[in-house]
Amino acid sequence: MAKEYTKPLPRPAPESEPFWAAARDHKLKIQKCRSCGNHWFPPSEHCPECLSADHDWIEASGRGRVFSFVTYQRLYNKGWEGEVPYVVALIELDEGPRLLSNLTGIAPENVACDMAVKVVFDDVTPEVTLPKFTPA
Amino acid sequence: MSVPQPNPALRDKYAIAGTGTSRLGQVPDVSSLGLMEEASANALSDAGLTAKDIDGLLVRGPDDIYTFHQVLGERLGINASFSTTTTNGGASQILSVILAVMAIDAGLASVVLCGFGRDAWSRTHRTEQARISGATRSAAMDTQEFGPEYGLFGAPAMHAFGARRHMHEFGTTREQFGAISLAFREHAQRNPQAQMLGRPLTMEDYLAARMIVEPFCLLDCSLRSDGAGAVIVTSTERARDMKQKPVLIKGFGTHNNLRGWFDGDNMLRTAAGPSGQRAYAMAGLGPKDIDCAQIYDCFTYMVLTQLEDYGFCKKGEGGDFVSSGTLALDGALPTNTSGGQLSETHNEGMLQIVEGARQLQGIYGPDRQVPAAETCLVSGHGGNTVCHSSLILGAA
Repeated sequence: MAKEYTKPLPRPAPESEPFWAAARDHKLKIQKCRSCGNHWFPPSEHCPECLSADHDWIEASGRGRVFSFVTYQRLYNKGWEGEVPYVVALIELDEGPRLLSNLTGIAPENVACDMAVKVVFDDVTPEVTLPKFTPA
Repeated sequence: MSVPQPNPALRDKYAIAGTGTSRLGQVPDVSSLGLMEEASANALSDAGLTAKDIDGLLVRGPDDIYTFHQVLGERLGINASFSTTTTNGGASQILSVILAVMAIDAGLASVVLCGFGRDAWSRTHRTEQARISGATRSAAMDTQEFGPEYGLFGAPAMHAFGARRHMHEFGTTREQFGAISLAFREHAQRNPQAQMLGRPLTMEDYLAARMIVEPFCLLDCSLRSDGAGAVIVTSTERARDMKQKPVLIKGFGTHNNLRGWFDGDNMLRTAAGPSGQRAYAMAGLGPKDIDCAQIYDCFTYMVLTQLEDYGFCKKGEGGDFVSSGTLALDGALPTNTSGGQLSETHNEGMLQIVEGARQLQGIYGPDRQVPAAETCLVSGHGGNTVCHSSLILGAA
């Protein structure tokens, strides 16, 4: 039997549902304004550049860079018991928006700002998939 | 669109007429409200007033106490013509002083008590379970997505993103963050109220401290404290008839990077920049005119970036600036002369207003007094790391 997943799961706002639904299909989707062309994240009803409500959910390239990152050396949540140290990274997508995620396939001490990364998908439960990133 | 600028006609027209604190540090048998009562009573007594003399109450407590100002007013036995609870995190306390000036100038109040009180240590350090739950606020306020599922928890990490990027762009080092921690710890050795009194620090201690969220170690993080502080704001004219020497409010400014800490350059060039420019312009002063500073020090990095953002040195040169003894009591810019939140008590910046005012009243002995201090810059920062307020105080 698979080990129980003990980390917190996202509790999506209604505006975020398309992001998480796409992640389940292993797609990284963000919003793009039909009026001004702006890409944005986190999700909201209106474009933060021009306030247009007219937008598409587009599939992002999944490529970006590590803008900054932090390495947890102290346990804050029991879901990470035995996994400290771990990295939380701020990823800047090639399309512009930034999002928080984890890095896989790299040791914390080898992570650096501006390193190129690409998205991978981690099916943490049958219902929830987390987009994560790995060195490109 | 024109850029808002505070009205220079308000310069020196309003003043701080009294200051007070509660017991600080580990005060296990009193609530946030109780601490706030204690600081309020002490500030009123310092000014030679009673609670019945105040008609404005601008305060902040723990986020899970609804309308903190109302509950406090009930305990102080007062009604108020102007009162509210501020919610800009660590930027709230200076904001309260600014709102007090605005309210008095608009005729809505005449003598205003501004303050902050919280039993943060009692809530989070009595037990390990309390520490992990971090219950300084209600669970309903927790982020729901795009953070906790990736293991992002706590204030240290948020600020550490900025520290890491600053290190990357400008070559800033951990030793330079350490120099800030050491400078304030030295000041705390001169402050009988400081939580870190009797615990001096060396660079070796700093570098050996356990890591919390890299690049921050324990000694980059401010204290968890019980405590409250309060100041009385009124017109300078009225303050001259009160018990203490008034402290002039020369300038103030605010700026809030509401698009967030992760947007653009916000974690490298903080809201302290535009906030400070407004305060300098109102006061008719610049960074070279500031005799001492009380800079919001939730984390060492935040002091470094603010010193740059306030123009005490160029962007990217904060590391060198803090490493040359500048922040010491006998340095070029004595900073956080009480020990600050890193070594006195974490009180969301309220005690830094108190310290700035007391330095300008010249009440301390030679071991702690900034000689001939005429001006003090006080900063407040918080509210998801993007809200900022600035205050320039002057000796009367």
